[in-house]
Amino acid sequence: MSLVKDADLELTADRRPLASLYSRNVRAVIVRGLVATKTSNAAIMISGFVEPVLYLLSMGIGLGALIGTVQGPGGTEISYAAYIAPALLTVSAMNGALYDSTMNVFFKMNYAKLYQNMLYTSLGPLDVALGEIFLALLRGFLYATGFTIVMAAMGLVTTWWALLMVPASVLIAFGFASIGMGITSYIRTFQQLDWVTFIMLPMFLFSATFYPLTVYPEPIQWLIQALPLWHGVELLRQLSVGAFGAMTAVHVLYYVAMVAVGMILTTRRLRALFLR
Amino acid sequence: MGSHEHGTAESARSDTGAPGHDRPRETGEAPASSPALPTAPPAAPGPSPTPGPGGAQGPAYLNSALVAHPPLTSAAKARRFGTWYLAEQHLRGMKGYLDIVIAYSVGNPLVYLFAMGIGLASLVDSNNAGGAFGGASYLQFIAPALLASAAMMTAAGEFTYAVMSGFKWWKTYYGPLATPVTPEQICQGHALAVTLRIVAQSAVYLVIVLFFGAATSGWAWATILTSSLAGVAFGLPLMAYSATVTVEKGQFALVQRFIVMPLFLFSGTLFPLSTLPWFLQWIGWISPVWHATELGRVLSYGHAEPGWLSAVHVIYLLVLAGGGLVLARRVYARRLEG
Repeated sequence: MSLVKDADLELTADRRPLASLYSRNVRAVIVRGLVATKTSNAAIMISGFVEPVLYLLSMGIGLGALIGTVQGPGGTEISYAAYIAPALLTVSAMNGALYDSTMNVFFKMNYAKLYQNMLYTSLGPLDVALGEIFLALLRGFLYATGFTIVMAAMGLVTTWWALLMVPASVLIAFGFASIGMGITSYIRTFQQLDWVTFIMLPMFLFSATFYPLTVYPEPIQWLIQALPLWHGVELLRQLSVGAFGAMTAVHVLYYVAMVAVGMILTTRRLRALFLR
Repeated sequence: MGSHEHGTAESARSDTGAPGHDRPRETGEAPASSPALPTAPPAAPGPSPTPGPGGAQGPAYLNSALVAHPPLTSAAKARRFGTWYLAEQHLRGMKGYLDIVIAYSVGNPLVYLFAMGIGLASLVDSNNAGGAFGGASYLQFIAPALLASAAMMTAAGEFTYAVMSGFKWWKTYYGPLATPVTPEQICQGHALAVTLRIVAQSAVYLVIVLFFGAATSGWAWATILTSSLAGVAFGLPLMAYSATVTVEKGQFALVQRFIVMPLFLFSGTLFPLSTLPWFLQWIGWISPVWHATELGRVLSYGHAEPGWLSAVHVIYLLVLAGGGLVLARRVYARRLEG
């Protein structure tokens, strides 16, 4: 009298879509990431939050004393610190997301060989990708919350709409993280990663972060408006004062599209990304 | 600590491509400098039979029609010119990431001068009657500051991960150590190479500054020297620190975020130091960037400053650089010989 029946030993093919990529166990990757956080350098985790705050203190207070007020969204005059704060939050969302999805993923893949080990289990590459992106977004969420609290403490938050900056910056981070992973799948050496940083710098400085777009000639304005960071900066700036328009929807849609494109690209490149 | 790391040329050559859990950021130098390693003699006692410590000039030398020096002559040359040979080795290593070096040297000034000196300036100059900058335009005001900051940032990159790489990841310091070259010369060679890179980068930067019309005085060329001095004054103490790091657990990223960034943001770079609240102004006084920036302003557009203050700037920068070098030499000697 055997307890094991023949039916138990039969293997049936899984007919789910993406069954070969996805084993419905993202949770395992997330839990592993959270456990690993315990042994990582706490000061580094904190430093990601400190950087935009330093920029805000330096430029908002120091430069703000020289500039005074600037015209914000909706035409109201706001202090220079209030003008750049949402932009700095956007930039830190971008930096964090791209850092995690390019350098960190590249390092874990080629040096720590973490993903190789994960894929020896029943986990699929899509579980790994979703888990990694979720962890990056969780971190981005904590940073954004912290920064919004700092803004409030500096008296830069005047409306409840500003609370929406937190989910919005998670959306922005999602957009950059999904595209970033797709890019990482093409990267072979650390030097190529330097080029990613190199492209981020002009985007950071030119996307209406520190001064309005109107200082540029029109063709350059169009170019910058095509880039993702500008949409993020404008979105958060509108949320920070609670002044919306038709463009608000465009900004949000831009990021929704970016997430979709990024996820499709990343999913298609998953084997190249993790199975090396 | 150093004993278990003290590898011969062989152990350095068997490249541990994946350096444990440490994170090699500036691995760029590794692939290019590794060709130099095979020519480094194995740790043989006494004078080395092969020419050129570090072997940087090895292949070319062997292929030339010249006759090899006797070992004692080579050893004497190594003792005498070791610093220069090591600098050459390091500079050749930089060739591995030359594209990004050039991109940063040219792209950085263009992007920053354009964004801050033209974009941000339109906001600052229209809202501010110009009184804050002693009659200079905002572009003129920030150009020397950006120049000095760029020198500091390059130093921050070259004196952290690259130092770690020399001691641990690629062990490029240990090949030369097996020759008559001293640890002090290994330290100085690295420092010299980086200094040369910073000087070259500052010269390129100044050309772009002039192209933007951001310097008016005939003395503007001297800002190459003052900003390079800022790079070295910041970099050499950092080098001494980096040489004490045995396990990289993110210390360098913290240096970047908690020292380099604040020095850039609070050194009277984007606005006069006096507009900061008093409890933040001390950052400027200890910052090499502020001292070099103020000197640069005097040189590039005749910013009015008492002579004694300019002297303080120069002396402070020299003391930092000199003190840093003394410390770094000491740490290198202890770690490489220990």
